[in-house]
Amino acid sequence: MSTQAETGRLELLQGTLDLLILRTLVFGPQHGQGIARAIQQTSGDELLVEHGALYPALQRLETRGWIAAKWGISGNNRRARFYTLTRAGRKQLVNETTKWRRLAAAIGRIIGPESEEG
Amino acid sequence: MFWRNMFWRKRKPGDFGDEIQAHLQLEFDRFREQGLREADARLAARRSFGNAARAEEQYYEAGRWSWADILMQNIRFGLRMLVRSPGSSVLAILALALGIGANTAIFSLFNAVLLRNLPVQRPGQLVLFGKGEWVGSQSDLPNRSWQLFSYNGYREFQRKNQVFSDVAAIDSILFSTHGRVAGGANLEKVSAELVSGTYFHTLGVKPVLGRTLSDADDTTPGAHPVAVASYSWWQRRLAADPSAVGTRVTIGATVYTVIGVAPPEFFGVTVGQSPDLWIPLAMEKEVSPGWNGLDNNLFQSLYIFARRKSGISVQQASANTNLLFQQIVLGYAGPHPSPRQLEDIGHAKVELTPAATGLSQLRRQLASPLQILMALVGVVLLIACANVANLLLARATVRQREIAIRMSIGAGRSRLIHQLLMESGLLGLAGAMLGVVLAWGAVRLLAAMVSTGPDPLPVRLAPDAPVLLFALGVTVLTALLFGTVPAFRATRLELAPSLKEGRGITGGPMRNGLARGLIIGQVALSLALLAGAGLFLRSLVNLMNVDTGFDRQNVLVMGVDPIGAGYQSDPRLENMMQRVEERVGAIPGIQAASFAFFVFNGGGWTDPVIVPGRPQSEHDPDVDHNIVGSQYLGAMKMPIVLGRGLNPRDSGASRKVAVINETMARVYFPGGSPVGRTFSIGDSPPWQNIEVAGVVRDAKYMELEERQRPAAFYPHAQHRGYLFTFIARYAGDAKRSMSQIRTAVSEVDPNLPIGDASTLLQVVNASVAKQRLVALLSTLFGILAALLACVGIYGVMSYGIARRTNEFGIRMALGAKRGDVLWMVLRETLGLALIGGAIGIALALTSSRLVKSVLFGLGPSDPIAIGAAAVLMIGVAVLAGWLPARRATRIDPMTALRYE
Repeated sequence: MSTQAETGRLELLQGTLDLLILRTLVFGPQHGQGIARAIQQTSGDELLVEHGALYPALQRLETRGWIAAKWGISGNNRRARFYTLTRAGRKQLVNETTKWRRLAAAIGRIIGPESEEG
Repeated sequence: MFWRNMFWRKRKPGDFGDEIQAHLQLEFDRFREQGLREADARLAARRSFGNAARAEEQYYEAGRWSWADILMQNIRFGLRMLVRSPGSSVLAILALALGIGANTAIFSLFNAVLLRNLPVQRPGQLVLFGKGEWVGSQSDLPNRSWQLFSYNGYREFQRKNQVFSDVAAIDSILFSTHGRVAGGANLEKVSAELVSGTYFHTLGVKPVLGRTLSDADDTTPGAHPVAVASYSWWQRRLAADPSAVGTRVTIGATVYTVIGVAPPEFFGVTVGQSPDLWIPLAMEKEVSPGWNGLDNNLFQSLYIFARRKSGISVQQASANTNLLFQQIVLGYAGPHPSPRQLEDIGHAKVELTPAATGLSQLRRQLASPLQILMALVGVVLLIACANVANLLLARATVRQREIAIRMSIGAGRSRLIHQLLMESGLLGLAGAMLGVVLAWGAVRLLAAMVSTGPDPLPVRLAPDAPVLLFALGVTVLTALLFGTVPAFRATRLELAPSLKEGRGITGGPMRNGLARGLIIGQVALSLALLAGAGLFLRSLVNLMNVDTGFDRQNVLVMGVDPIGAGYQSDPRLENMMQRVEERVGAIPGIQAASFAFFVFNGGGWTDPVIVPGRPQSEHDPDVDHNIVGSQYLGAMKMPIVLGRGLNPRDSGASRKVAVINETMARVYFPGGSPVGRTFSIGDSPPWQNIEVAGVVRDAKYMELEERQRPAAFYPHAQHRGYLFTFIARYAGDAKRSMSQIRTAVSEVDPNLPIGDASTLLQVVNASVAKQRLVALLSTLFGILAALLACVGIYGVMSYGIARRTNEFGIRMALGAKRGDVLWMVLRETLGLALIGGAIGIALALTSSRLVKSVLFGLGPSDPIAIGAAAVLMIGVAVLAGWLPARRATRIDPMTALRYE
């Protein structure tokens, strides 16, 4: 499902971006660029996030009421739109995390332990 | 949430752009920090962002507004397109408005008369015993499905059944009587319905004021002078007085107390009647002194309806009811029923019919006309649709290049179809709105046309939810009908040729088989409608030309109410009638005046007669009996052909006599003169041994369509009873005569109420009101359809000619004569009209069989009606094609060649 991109990074699995955004926001309000960078860094530069693709996702989460946004000033004194996790978003994050863990575990069991693959 | 998504656009697109800019700035800052040069940093920031335009687009499309935006765009675009060709848009909207309006108007009436449920609790549980078609009373035990029941029968059903939560009875006749309200001096018209005490409770109708009747108000005959007022009477007569409970209404010698007011939407259970007062059946004798019998098992004059217990099916209810019914009827036959009676009873039954929509004489009268009209307007709408489809097709052809360009630069076909459908939707909507307004006005007119009396039809005609839903449904359906095919065709074209094509000669005049098919269809349907109109018109003419056997000119007919005036059935009544007849007859200009039991179309009394010495037969027709004054036959100008007419010397003391009609003479007294012979009606003592004094010419008695019936006339001086009709033959002005008659009557008895007068001619005309309605409307619809078809032909032909302008120019430049061009164009129309005509005739011949039963004096394939329709339709179709064809001949070859 996931493919190895030219850069050697992993492209995101469909639907996982929402989870990553919510997770990133657990640590406090963040603007779009910050979220993108945080995902990239936290994943040890393994995940490729096209920054542009982030915004429709943010938009979607905002409409669903899982995150809220307002304009603010960034660390280096730039104007930016900051996103915060809402209560509903937090709940959603828990759900999504559980779901994802179960999925990962299930897939892991199917493809077997790493050693066999050599 | 959903709502907010759809309509609450929180962010403007600009705000989103700002955010992207902010993002790029932050990235740029970061790369600068990492030491990139300004230009590289900018580039890197853009690269990491990816496609900004796509992000914006994605954002926009995810931004829930897109579909609504597209919709708005399509609407705006559609409106622009409609405005761009105003002529054809207006034409289309008008055609649709007429079609939808006509449908909505007819449906309003259809709904009000035939479909609407009574405004009562859970109407689905109500059942009627029998079909409720018979009106009046009957005294025998019918050997078939029963419809009328006696009061005792109702009580037995009520007591003994196990399947109904409640049973109620209602008199089959609505009494129009007169009374004094709240001690007033004048007698006013009051219509009273006699109902059982359980009536309101069975229906579940709650009063808006006071209380309704209860079973306790209906126990002892004559002891419950109470009444529930209808809402409209309370408003009209008591000025909606909140303290109206307790108001006294005097009818005859009885003073009734108003105990409550029914809710506004409740007109009773009979559609088309609106009683002013509901009075308990216990007061039957007081309300109707001449016609009653609460304790008589064989005085059967009531309808019974009941509410099924929940969980009881119609079958269960029916089984229990019929079981009970057999027991009850056996009881009526006496201790020793004859074998004949037993056999009849064996065949007798009660059919439970659903009564959710109530009872209605009106429904029976109007069911077939309304069904016919509904079908006719449906066809009109179809024709209107065909018309609009043709307009759209023509328009789409004009826009071929526009559509081709749009498709070639990437417009999606579905989006284009949406747009084109939006245009038809807008047309439909505009047509529907105009149509509903039209219907609003038309339905009042319709109601006036079907009302036989001076009062408007008492049904609610205000457009309600079903009517508006119907209009909406029709609109959507029509929009799809006329819009879909043109839209799909318009977008199916091959791009290259369309782009290359000018408005040149490619695509001949009627290359479009669809347009041609639509024209043929329109001609065929219009012809069928015209043929129908012809049939109904000729049927009406035949009816109006029926020899009535009386002279309908110069006769006034009016209702009188001796009961309201307080007369008992005694010599005072007879005395009053004779004095009124004498007094009115003495007015100069009045040639004859008489009371009558019935005048034409006013109902009748039919019973078999027994002639001594003549064996009775199964096939003997019942005789129409009428009780009249001595001058009645003269006033009606029914000529005596044998013996003598009635005269004032026929009194209570003299020999009982009758004047019979020719048919009765022929059937009951064959071979020899009937004068001086005798006959009897049943075994009731006053009707034995009646001597035939003379024979009067045959006439129509109840309706114009009736087959000739035997009839007999008896002098009222010899038969005690109430007569409710008064006629007078006058010379000169009807209004003046009427006021003279009123004066004369009030000199005899100032209290005797005289109702609205009409002329006998009006009575005869009103008796064919529904036939006139159908004839008139079908003609109107036929003309409308033909007009629409003509407009369609005209439009398609003009358009074809406009497209062929330079072809004609070339032909004429090469020497074609004007006549040749004319014929070339006309030939096409003629061809279509003839094909359409042939199909139309076939259609008319097959569909007219459905209306066979409502035609009078002609068959459904009447060659005159259908032939006239064919000639007319093909004629106007050719005319509609000729007008543009003539224009083609006027083309100046030089202009035409330069046309492109």
